[in-house]
Amino acid sequence: MDPELINDCVHCGFCLPTCPTYVLWGEEMDSPRGRIHLMKQHVEGTPITPEMAGHFDACLGCMACVTACPSGVRYDRLIEQTRVAVERRHEREPQERAVRGIVFALFPYPRRLRLLRPTMWLAERMAPFLAKAHPSLGAMAALAPRVEHRQRLPRLVRARGGRRAVVGMLTGCVQGEFFPQVNAATARVLALEGCDVVIPPGQGCCGALSVHSGRDDQARRLARRTVRTFERAGVDTVVVNAAGCGSSMKEYGELLGREPGFRVVDLSEYLAELGPAAKRHPLPVTVAYHDACHLAHAQGVRAQPRELLRGIPGLEVREIPESAICCGSAGTYNMFQPQAARDLGDRKAAAVATTGAELLVSANPGCTMQIAAATRRAGSEIRVAHVAEVLDASLRGVRLSERSERPNKHGSVLTGPTEEGQ
Amino acid sequence: MEPFSGVTVRQAGADDAVGGVQPRWVALPETVEEVSAVLRDCAERDLAVVPAGGGTKLHWGLPPERCDVLLDMCCMNAVLEHAAGDLVVRAQAGVTMDALAGVLAEKGQELALDPPFAEHTTVGGTLATAAAGPRSFRYGTARDLLIGITVVLPDGTIARSGGKVVKNVAGYDLGKLFTGSQGTLGVIAEATFRLHPLPAESRWVVAPLPSGDALARVTASQAEPSAVEIDCPGGAEGADATVAVLVEGSAAEARALELREVLGDGTITAERPEWWGLILRDDVLLELRFPPARALEALAAAGEAGFAFRGSAATGRAYLEGSEEELAAVTGLRARVEALGGRLHVLAAPETGVDRWGQVSGLPLMRRVKERFDPGRRMSPGRFVGGI
Amino acid sequence: MLETLTAALRSLLPHDAVITDPVRLRTYECDGLTYHRATPGVVVLPDTAEQVARVVRVCNDFGVPFVARGSGTGLSGGALPREDGVLIVTSKMRRILEIDLANRRAVVEPGVTNLAITEAVRDRGHYYAPDPSSQQVCSIGGNVAENSGGAHCLKYGFTVNHVEACEIVTPDGDLVTLDRMDPGYDLLGAFIGSEGTLGIATKITVRLCRTPEAVTTVLAAFESIEQGGQAVSAIIGAGIVPAAIEMMDALAIEAAEAAVACAYPKGAGAVLIVELDGPSAEVERQFAQLEEICSDAFELRVAASAEERAAIWKGRKSAFAAVGRISPAYIVQDGVVPRTSLPGVLAAIDRLSEEHGIRVANVFHAGDGNLHPLVLFDDAEEGAGERAEVVSGAILDLCIENGGSITGEHGVGVDKSRYMPKMFSADDLDTMQLVRCAFDPRGLSNPGKVFPTPRLCGEVPGVRKGVHPLVESGKAEQF
Ligand SMILES: Cc1cc2nc3c(=O)[nH]c(=O)nc-3n(C[C@H](O)[C@H](O)[C@H](O)COP(=O)(O)OP(=O)(O)OC[C@H]3O[C@@H](n4cnc5c(N)ncnc54)[C@H](O)[C@@H]3O)c2cc1C
Ligand code: SF4
Ligand code: SF4
Repeated sequence: MDPELINDCVHCGFCLPTCPTYVLWGEEMDSPRGRIHLMKQHVEGTPITPEMAGHFDACLGCMACVTACPSGVRYDRLIEQTRVAVERRHEREPQERAVRGIVFALFPYPRRLRLLRPTMWLAERMAPFLAKAHPSLGAMAALAPRVEHRQRLPRLVRARGGRRAVVGMLTGCVQGEFFPQVNAATARVLALEGCDVVIPPGQGCCGALSVHSGRDDQARRLARRTVRTFERAGVDTVVVNAAGCGSSMKEYGELLGREPGFRVVDLSEYLAELGPAAKRHPLPVTVAYHDACHLAHAQGVRAQPRELLRGIPGLEVREIPESAICCGSAGTYNMFQPQAARDLGDRKAAAVATTGAELLVSANPGCTMQIAAATRRAGSEIRVAHVAEVLDASLRGVRLSERSERPNKHGSVLTGPTEEGQ
Repeated sequence: MEPFSGVTVRQAGADDAVGGVQPRWVALPETVEEVSAVLRDCAERDLAVVPAGGGTKLHWGLPPERCDVLLDMCCMNAVLEHAAGDLVVRAQAGVTMDALAGVLAEKGQELALDPPFAEHTTVGGTLATAAAGPRSFRYGTARDLLIGITVVLPDGTIARSGGKVVKNVAGYDLGKLFTGSQGTLGVIAEATFRLHPLPAESRWVVAPLPSGDALARVTASQAEPSAVEIDCPGGAEGADATVAVLVEGSAAEARALELREVLGDGTITAERPEWWGLILRDDVLLELRFPPARALEALAAAGEAGFAFRGSAATGRAYLEGSEEELAAVTGLRARVEALGGRLHVLAAPETGVDRWGQVSGLPLMRRVKERFDPGRRMSPGRFVGGI
Repeated sequence: MLETLTAALRSLLPHDAVITDPVRLRTYECDGLTYHRATPGVVVLPDTAEQVARVVRVCNDFGVPFVARGSGTGLSGGALPREDGVLIVTSKMRRILEIDLANRRAVVEPGVTNLAITEAVRDRGHYYAPDPSSQQVCSIGGNVAENSGGAHCLKYGFTVNHVEACEIVTPDGDLVTLDRMDPGYDLLGAFIGSEGTLGIATKITVRLCRTPEAVTTVLAAFESIEQGGQAVSAIIGAGIVPAAIEMMDALAIEAAEAAVACAYPKGAGAVLIVELDGPSAEVERQFAQLEEICSDAFELRVAASAEERAAIWKGRKSAFAAVGRISPAYIVQDGVVPRTSLPGVLAAIDRLSEEHGIRVANVFHAGDGNLHPLVLFDDAEEGAGERAEVVSGAILDLCIENGGSITGEHGVGVDKSRYMPKMFSADDLDTMQLVRCAFDPRGLSNPGKVFPTPRLCGEVPGVRKGVHPLVESGKAEQF
C-alpha cells in the first residue's frame, strides 16, 4: 500500500454517501475514508487483523468513491494493493477459504465454467438448501442464469456497408459462457456500424476477477495471455462489452509494467466515438439505464450509453435515483458477501421500480441479473437487456423482446442484419 | 438623593408602576458602563430591577414579584455605527425603531423588522419581547436579524456576543437567548443588526379572505410575497376578514398582478392597509401560533372565542385582541389550537389567574438558565414563563 | 472504568452498535481536521433517540464525557473524541420522518445528510436552503451543532434561520423538545451553533423553501482580485441581494481546474460567481444591473441550463478538497471580516504569504466577508508546517483586528478555542459559560471544545465531591 496515495486523502468524507457499504451500515470502517484509514494503520505498523480484513473484503470495488473524491485519491489502486496484502498476509477462516478457492478455481476459466453450467441450472432450484449450508453457495446458485445454447462466434465478422474500422472484440469468461447473446449482439452492432470485428478464438479471462480480489499472480498470468492473444490478432483497438473486464484491461499497463500494443475501449464509448452510421429503427420502450460501477466509476463512461440509447427513435431513457450507488453484484461480491449484496440489490431494485420503466438496461449483465433477481424477490418482474442488445434490435429493426427473452435459435451470429420483421 | 454611583436617578411615581408594582427609583443610564454600575449597586443591595424601553409593552407579562428600580433606557438612544457598505448597524438599546429607520433610510437601507408601536418601541424592547411583524415571513424575526449584542448581567458584568459581521459562529449566541427574554436575564444595552436595502417598490394586494387553498397558493407562490397578512376585526365566521399580500422589489407591480390572479379578486395599492402590522388594543392580547396550512381553522377558532385576529397566514403567527370577558375562553381556545398543532399564549391581560403560557417543554432548562444568570431573582422576577 | 461502562452500554444497545475493537475505534480518531487525533474510548452507533438518551444517562452514571459525531466532516475538530469517553455517532439515524409541504417543513433524524433533504423534496418544488459545500455528506445534526452556512446564506441565512424545532438529549440524558413556537427563552437559538456542548440533537424540524422561479448564475472573470472585490461592493451598493456571491483567486482556480476540470476562463486573476434568484421579473432586472456592474470583467458567462449552472458551481464547491491536488498539505482557514475591509485584508494576506514563503489560495463567500484562505505547504519540508501555522494564525488576527470573527461557519472546536480570548473578553466567555453550566453542569457534553480553559460549574452534583482534581492541579478554575 503506497503511503503517498494514502496521504492524498484529506478526510473530507465526500465519498461516504456514494459508498454502498456506508449507505447500508453507516459505519466509518466500512466507508472509503475509513478503509483508507485502516490502510494507513496497516502501513504504520498495525498487522492486518481479521476485523480489518473483513472491512476490506466488504468493499465492492465499485469505485464510486473514486468518482466522488475531489482530491483525486486513487482508491482503485489502493484497494488492489490492499487486497494483495490481505491475500498474502491474512489467514482466512477455513470455510471462507474453501469458498474463495472454488470461485477462483472456476470463474476465470471458461472451460471449467462450461462444465459447471448444467449444475448451476440445477443449483438454482437448490439455492435455499445451499444457502443454509453456506450463504455464499446460495448466492452463487441464485445468480446462475438459465443459459441458452452456446453460440460459436466466428473469428472474423465482416463490416456491413462500408468498412470504417477494424476492431478486436473480447468475449470474456462469464460473459461468453452465460450471456452469449450479448456477445453476438455486440459483434453484429459493430459490424453494422462498419467495423470488421476480429474475435480471436481461445480467449480466456482477462484477469479482472483476480485483480479485483487481490490474486495478483493469477491476474498477471491471465492478463499476459490476453495481451498476447490480441497482439497476435494484430488489432489496434479492442472493444469490450463487459464493464469489469474493460476497466481492468485499461489498467494492463500498470499491472504488467508495459502498455499493450492496442487500445481498450468500452463498446458504447467506441460507438459514440465512431458516430452512428447505420439506420436506427424505432423501439417504443421506456428504459431505466443503470450505471454499472466498472463503467461509470472506473471508466468514467456515463454519457455515451445514454446518448446511444436516446439515439433510438421511440425509446425513452429514465434516470434511476441514487444512480451512483452499486447494485451489489460487483464481480465476485455476490459470492463472498451475500447478505450485503442482497441488501444492495433490494435497494437498487426499489430505486429502479420508482422509474416505472419497462426495461432495465446496463452495460453489465451481472448488474442486470442482480437487480432482476432482487426485483423478483420483491414480487415483481422487469425485463433486462445489455446496451448491445438494445442497439442490435434497433439496428436490425427487430423486436427487442425476441432478443432479450429468448435465445437466438439460429445460433448464427449474422442471420439478422436485414430488415426482417419490420 | 443619589442612590447609584454617578447615574441619573429620580424618585418613581405612580406612572412608573409595572403591572401595578411601583418601583422606588427610576434610573436613567446613558452608557453601558452606567447600566453596569446601577446593576452592581442593585446586586449589592439586593434590589430588584425591571428594564424599560419605550414602555409600550411594559404591562405585558405578569407583574413583577418585586420592583425596586425601573431601569429606563430612554437616554441610551444613539445609533452608534451605520456601516452602510456592510449592511450593518449598531445601536444603543434605547433608540426607537422609527428613529433608527430614519437614519438607515438616508442610505437607502432598513432593518426589516416591523414591530408594532414602532414610533415608541425601542431596539431593546423589540428584542426583549421578540415582537414580530408581517414581513418576518421573508426576513425572519428579530433574532434572525440580530448579529451582535451587548448585555449587562444582574451582577453588573458586561458581556458581548456575536459581532458586527453577518456570518459568525464563534461562541454561544447570547443574542438569541436574550431575544424574547422579557428582561428576566439581564439588560440589553446595545445591539447590532444586519440590514437590507430598502425595496425599490412595494405593492399590497388587498382582497376579501380567499379559500384556504388560494391562501396556500399565494404563500407558496414563486412571485415571492414578503408577507401574507389576515385582518379580522371580529365575528365568528371571519366574514369581514381581509387578506393583504405584500410584494417588494423592482417588479412589484407585475408580481402583485400575478398574486391577484391567484386570489381571484382584490385591489393593488402602493399604500399599506391602515391595520398593517398594528396592535390596536392590548389590554387583553394573545399570541397565536399555528401551522400555516391550518390558518383558516385557527382564524375560525379565534373568532368563535370572540377575539379579533391579525397576523401572518404565511408564518402562522397572529395577535388576538379582546377584552377581559374573552379571557375565560383562553383555556378552551388553547385546547383547540393545540389540536391543530399550534400554541396560544397570553401576552397581556389583567391578572386573573389564567394560565398564560400553557405547556412549555423546555421549562426546566429555562429555569436552570435563569438560575445561572440571575441567581438572586432580581431581574424582572416572576414576569415570564412559569414565573421565571 | 471504561470496561464496566462498555458492559453497561452493551446491555442497552444492539450488539453491533457498540464498537470496542481498537483498529475500528481508530477510524474515528478525527473529523475533517486531521491534525487533532484521539482514539475514542468506545464508539456507539445508536439507532433511535431513546438509545442516545440511554447512552447519555449511562455516561452520567459513570461521570464519563461523551462527544457527538455526525459525518465527521467538521473542520475545527468539534467531533474530536475523548480517549476517556464515548463517541456517539448518529450515522445510523438517517431517516426522513416526515415531509409536510403544506407547512413547508420536514422532520428528520440527525444523521440525514443536508442534501438528502433537498433531494427528497426537489421534484415537488422545494429545497432546504442552507448549503454548506459539504452538503452531500455532512449531517443535519452536525449542521445544527455548527450553525452551518453555505454560499446561499447571503440571502437566505444559516442553519439557525431554518430550523423550527429540535428534539435534544440534554447532557443529563433527558429528551426535550425545543420549538420556536413555544414561549420562553430561545433555547433553540442558543443550542444551534453550540457544537455539541449543550446536548445532542436527535430530531430536527427544518423549514423548506420554495424553489425560486428563476435562477441566473453568472461567472465573471477578472484580471485581479481587486477588480473582483470592487464588483462585489458595487453589487451590494446597488441594493441587490444576490443568492450568492463567491470569489476564487488564481491559485484556487488552478486547484479546482486540476480536480474537476471546471473550465473557468483562462488567465483569470479572480472569478466571481454571482447567483440571482427569485421571481423571473426581478431576476431579469437585477441581471441587467449586474451586467453593467461587471463591465470590467474580461469574460462573463451566464449559465443557460441546470448543467451549466452545476458546472460553474462544481469548481467552487470542490475547491477545498481539490487543493489536495496542488499541494501535499494545507490548512483550511475560516475567518470573517466586514465586507468593506475585504480588499485591505486580502492585501495583508498577500504580504503574509510572501513574508513566510507560504502560498495561500483564497476561496471566499465574498458577499458576507467570509474568507476561506487555504494555506498551502509541503509537510515533507522542514519547518513548512510551522510557518503555515503562523500564517494561518496571523490571518485570524487580521480578522479580529478588522472587527470580524475567527470563524464564519466551521466553528471553534478544539482548533480555535485558544483564539476565543482574543475575540472575547473574560466576562464574555464567563457569560457564555453560564449557558453551558445551565445545560451541562457536570461538563460531560463535548468538554474541551469551544472554550479555552476547561471550567467547572459551581457545585458539581452526583459522584464528584470535594475539590475537583482539575482545580487542584490548576488546570481549571472553579466557576
Ligand atoms: C470539504 C468541506 C467543505 C465544507 N464546507 C462547509 C461550508 O461551506 N459551510 C459550513 O458551514 N461548513 C462546511 N464544512 C464543515 C462541515 O461540513 C460542517 O461543519 C458540518 O456541519 C459538519 O457536519 P458533520 O455531520 O460532519 O458533523 P461532525 O463533524 O461529525 O461534527 C461537528 C460538530 O457537531 C457536533 N455534532 C454532530 N452531530 C450532532 C448532533 N446530532 N447533536 C449535537 N451535536 C452534534 C459534534 O460534536 C461536533 O462538535 C466543510 C467541510 C468540508 C470537509
Ligand atoms: S470501492 Fe465502492 S465499496 Fe469500496 S470503498 Fe469505494 S465506494 Fe465503497
Ligand atoms: S473523498 Fe477522497 S479525500 Fe475525501 S475522504 Fe474520500 S477518499 Fe479521502
